[in-house]
Amino acid sequence: MNYFPDEVIEHVFDFVTSQKDRNAVSLVCKSWYKIERLSRQSVFIGNCYAISPERVIGRFPGLKSLTLKGKPHFADFNLLPYDWGGWVYPWVEALAKSRVGLEELRLKRMVVSDDCLELLSRSFVNFKSLVLVSCEGFTTDGLAAIAANCRYLRELDLQEIEVDDNRGQWISCFPDSCTSLVSLNFSCLKGEINLTALERLVARSPNLKSLRLNRAVPLDTLQKLLMRAPQLVDLGIGSFVYDPSSEAYIKLKATLVKCKSIRSLSGFLEVVPCCLSAIHPVCQNLTSLNLSYAPGIHGNELIKLIRFCRKLERLWILDSIGDRGLGVVAFTCKELQELRVFPSGVDNAAVTEEGLVAISAGCPKLHSLLYFCQQMTNAALITVAKNNSNFTRFRLCILDREKPDPVTMQPLDEGFGAIVQSCKRLRRLSLSGLLTDQVFLYIGMYAEQLEMLSIAFAGNSDKGMLYVLNGCKKLRKLEIRDSPFGNTALLTDVGKYETMRSLWMSSCEVTLGGCQTLAKKMPRLNVEIINEDDQMEFSLDDRQKVGKMYLYRTLVGPRKDAPDFVWTL
Amino acid sequence: MGRARAASCSSSSTESSTQIRRNLSTDLRLGLSISASQQDDPFSLPSVGDDDQASDWPPTKPLIMRRALEEEENEGSSATFFVKVYMEGIPIGRKLDLLAHDGYHDLIRTLDYMFSTNIIWSEMDGSVSAYSETCHVLTYEDKEGDWMMVGDVPWEMFLSTVRRLKITRAM
Repeated sequence: MNYFPDEVIEHVFDFVTSQKDRNAVSLVCKSWYKIERLSRQSVFIGNCYAISPERVIGRFPGLKSLTLKGKPHFADFNLLPYDWGGWVYPWVEALAKSRVGLEELRLKRMVVSDDCLELLSRSFVNFKSLVLVSCEGFTTDGLAAIAANCRYLRELDLQEIEVDDNRGQWISCFPDSCTSLVSLNFSCLKGEINLTALERLVARSPNLKSLRLNRAVPLDTLQKLLMRAPQLVDLGIGSFVYDPSSEAYIKLKATLVKCKSIRSLSGFLEVVPCCLSAIHPVCQNLTSLNLSYAPGIHGNELIKLIRFCRKLERLWILDSIGDRGLGVVAFTCKELQELRVFPSGVDNAAVTEEGLVAISAGCPKLHSLLYFCQQMTNAALITVAKNNSNFTRFRLCILDREKPDPVTMQPLDEGFGAIVQSCKRLRRLSLSGLLTDQVFLYIGMYAEQLEMLSIAFAGNSDKGMLYVLNGCKKLRKLEIRDSPFGNTALLTDVGKYETMRSLWMSSCEVTLGGCQTLAKKMPRLNVEIINEDDQMEFSLDDRQKVGKMYLYRTLVGPRKDAPDFVWTL
Repeated sequence: MGRARAASCSSSSTESSTQIRRNLSTDLRLGLSISASQQDDPFSLPSVGDDDQASDWPPTKPLIMRRALEEEENEGSSATFFVKVYMEGIPIGRKLDLLAHDGYHDLIRTLDYMFSTNIIWSEMDGSVSAYSETCHVLTYEDKEGDWMMVGDVPWEMFLSTVRRLKITRAM
């Protein structure tokens, strides 16, 4: 069957890097399956409970980089109880026991203990990269172990983490011989940090390209760090509080002008409300700007900054920028590809449909959007769809739940319908505002490439959910809360769920009986009912509505680490 | 954390399911939380979570919202720069935090309000005569002790040299 020796085929496969493509390659024939699996270095597991670590290691013994995701997305919004699951220890333990030469571990929404980090740091000689996103369960002691034991560490990246800061000394645990750091991000840590140790670490890391500081790093330290690392490409500023006449500030201004490589800027975790003019020289080269953690920067100052950012491709900002500010973005940032506007929680600071329309008209390359706004109209969405059919991600969150179009008082079905009809490459969609079954009809009809859909407080009947399940052939993740979809919708096409990664339904109309029927019919799904305190304690009545249901396909049956309040049916 | 489910209060809810769900956001804000109903009511809704700590709306990651709330709490303790402000003819002066303003326009707005007048400064356009009824000129004392008109230098440079402000009658 093969015209070439295995080594040649393997070499060809080296050029096939995406996991999707490699999966396709492995389905061609047994020989290709074997060659592919032995040569695969990078494995992505979208649901850590879909497979066991032993089977992954068995299939891919050459594994060097592992990405794991644990909790479902709605866990980000406090919809999942604390101890639900997603512990990574069993994975690290299994990898340590095997002969896998792990070099990179990337985790999202998983629970990581200090013991686990300790084990990780001691088990893999060539371990180079640890990326933790939205994880929990560890303290800075675990970080100290990583720093101390991973001799060739290149990357330590913590995002959206809430960590118990025991001491600020973990940074001192990097040995003097550690000179390999390329990326260090500890911006989310709340505690103090040993500034001298940090300065020395940066001084001996000539390859450092990305440095994101936490709020405990003051301005004068920032200036010293930048002097040592003028080659930085990505900078996250911790504290930006200063006295305008101070020498420290004047020095920083001069140093920043010299940092010509900075392309990405974030942070400003503590900031004086005015005068970011020191940053202006850096702005002209920026391709990425994240000010979503800086509520201290006023709208006017944001606007002044944006005017300098002509090359911006990615912008994450708070709604304090206002519609006027978004107009400035639309005028200035012609290269913009991704925009995220987060709610600042301040009542009068919000954006509306005006800002979005301006952006869609002014930024032709925009394809990824996350937009929290005060209100939205059908007319605006239709205009956006006309202006821009490139969206691959379109996530809209109107802060007032179930709010209709304020001009016509109609649901937003037509607006979202226009978006899905126009944007043929749409892969991710989040809906909000007042919506009926009609919007789901449109989604089922037009959103052919849709992979992930988030629904909240929408729809009238089971028909809505059925339109989506029937129409969206590429759907992988569906998450629904507070919508009137029940057993009929859930049970009409049970085979569909094996083509998807997962389904989340909370505060809907599905009953215990419906879930049990599903679980019986589909043994290769785990149907989990998350039973919070007072619901369903003593009654096992089939007709009782289920508070939270999470189902996912799996090759390894019900998980053994489920806590008491999770029932796998 | 249990959540009571609010049953619809209208008897018309039993009508056809194609009826558009009415906008119940007002009801939700009133915090209606009628105890759990077992009936399969197409309009039954959960009440708004009343636990502020563990809020699940808006659907944004907790760290961002928490930073915004912290910022509101910390507003009082961030850097300040208070200067004295005197109005000509009034012996008792006021104090003003310059760092709480983001530029000259903001500052003038505050002073207009504080002293109930119209302030002239260097960026005003030529139509000053229209305002000559009740208006004043804003000046500042710099580090060298000289009195200068406000607005000529960049805001930041102004912050680094200003010692106090004086509002004098227009000449």
